[in-house]
Amino acid sequence: MTAVIETQGLGKRYRRLWALADCTLSVPAGRVVGLVGPNGAGKSTLLNLAAGLLAPTTGTIQVLGDPPPARPAQLARVGFLAQDAPVCARLSVAEHLTLGARLNPGWDAELARRRIDWLGLDLGQKAGKLSGGQRAQLALTLAIGKRPELLILDEPVASMDPLARREFLEDLTGAIAEQELSVVLSSHLMEDLERVCDYLIVLAGSRVQITGPVEELLATHYLLTGPRRESATLPVGQQVISASHADRKTTLVVRASEPVFDPAWTVSGVSLEDMVLAYMRHAPQGGRRRARENQLEAQK
Amino acid sequence: MIWLTWRQFRPQALTSLAALAAFAMLLGATEPHLAGMYASSGITTCHGQACSRFAGNFLSLVNGGYTVVFMLGIAAVILAPAVIGIFWGAPLIAREFETGTFRMVWMQSVTRAWWVASKLALPGLAAMVVTEGLSLMYSWWAAPIGQAARLAPGTSFPLGMGPFSLPTFDAHGVVPISYAAFGFTLGVTAGVLFRRALPAMAVTLAIFAAVQVAVPLGIRPSLFPPAHTTQSLAENFSGQQSVGIGGKFTFALGYIDSEPGAWILSSGAVDAAGRQVSVMPAACQNAAASTGDPMQCLASHGIGIAASYQPASRYWPIQWTETGIYLALALALAGFCCWRLGRRLP
Repeated sequence: MTAVIETQGLGKRYRRLWALADCTLSVPAGRVVGLVGPNGAGKSTLLNLAAGLLAPTTGTIQVLGDPPPARPAQLARVGFLAQDAPVCARLSVAEHLTLGARLNPGWDAELARRRIDWLGLDLGQKAGKLSGGQRAQLALTLAIGKRPELLILDEPVASMDPLARREFLEDLTGAIAEQELSVVLSSHLMEDLERVCDYLIVLAGSRVQITGPVEELLATHYLLTGPRRESATLPVGQQVISASHADRKTTLVVRASEPVFDPAWTVSGVSLEDMVLAYMRHAPQGGRRRARENQLEAQK
Repeated sequence: MIWLTWRQFRPQALTSLAALAAFAMLLGATEPHLAGMYASSGITTCHGQACSRFAGNFLSLVNGGYTVVFMLGIAAVILAPAVIGIFWGAPLIAREFETGTFRMVWMQSVTRAWWVASKLALPGLAAMVVTEGLSLMYSWWAAPIGQAARLAPGTSFPLGMGPFSLPTFDAHGVVPISYAAFGFTLGVTAGVLFRRALPAMAVTLAIFAAVQVAVPLGIRPSLFPPAHTTQSLAENFSGQQSVGIGGKFTFALGYIDSEPGAWILSSGAVDAAGRQVSVMPAACQNAAASTGDPMQCLASHGIGIAASYQPASRYWPIQWTETGIYLALALALAGFCCWRLGRRLP
């Protein structure tokens, strides 16, 4: 299967801080890829690099076979919904559709109009007066209406209430099924991604922790619980991702290529959320501190 | 893309149309009376010395009620490029960065260079049209005053300002077009560099004001090599003179009789050999003390008054040269914006 996004040692530095470092990954086509990680992990940076809105400091990135930013021909094949879903506040909903039609050769006016009708948006309303959820829907309509092959969504549901969030994701799932898109979608909330994604990239501490199809990841990770012990020795082929110790109990998240049969432990399957949390904990301390600094920076 | 640019520019376009209309109404309402006064002043049919007197009378009539309009008009034409640079230019792209909408627009199937180019083209042309429109209307309105001021040299400020004087030159001819183009692209460039509208606006104002002071004072006088003349003090001296303690004195020429409408760059007293003089000969100091008029004495000592100037015939060459310089600057700034946003990424 071909890759829609392929990176090689990709890194991005803002002044002294590395927002993303040494990122090598390949995103297969035809998947709905969840990009998950704590705030400030580098998710937005990676997606903006893929959209061609940032230039890499190190390494290379190829999107649909070409390095972004690119010619109009490539731009037409990539749809991007930026964080906070920017729309032109002074333009009406209808004018946004005109904008899409004028600026994109492959614009599907029929599809865009149908979406707006279905969403119940008022065509005459100024985009600045829409709610956060409606604005995101409008921005998504712009991104989908150009009929891209790859759709990149940066925290699309971050500003929505739980109901709007669920509706948005259901609508997105429908659109994906209808159009055979490859999708990359970031969130720091696992439950959002669990609902729609079949492939996962975990980013923490500015680095890629693990990537793979969701099923495969679930099949190779185990939760081990047993009496408390400070250091556990495990056979070759089993890697401890995280260990947590309670008063009398130790819990391990383990990655193993073979099923684990160890009488010393109670072995069970791991939930996607537990697995991702384990990788976030696994990330080097430096990265996490940096992530927190980024977070503080963002709150200012 | 042109559609989007037009849609985003529409409010400013309407505002500027309203401003043009208001300006036209103000000038249109007062022009018939002004033109009537000019027609009945006798200037149109006079000969010789009489013209100067008629023109002086006309200007003192104008001074009664129209000085305010005269100054307001000049101010409007001169401030338009600065206002356009600050309120159209600086926010044009900075606002897109502030609101994040560049992330949406840049992901349409249009290259960034084309996006910048079309964003520059439409408001940029509008800026030039609006400013030159103001200038043409004002030139039409103020034509009788300029005509009279030429016939009555030495008329006091502001009506007597010659065509080369600082605000008058900047408000007439073709230079306003180029000031508008420069002010606008300067604002856009500041916005591209700062990515925030407010600092971009402040920097635009500061740089534009500095350039608009530096060019008339430092560059405009030497665009063409100045001409020189020396006048005898025996002739009717027109200008300012001051005599100080110890025989120190200075002369400044108001206008040159043989070169009507010339722009005097510098003037001062010189001796027969052409050297600058700042202290009177002792004999003339006595004459100044006893009669209060040292002119005859100074003239008999071979002292005259020298001036360097740009003749009136240089008016259009200077206008066009300066326009060319500003337009070249504007083009360079526009090219920089396209390059910066089209090629370089943060």
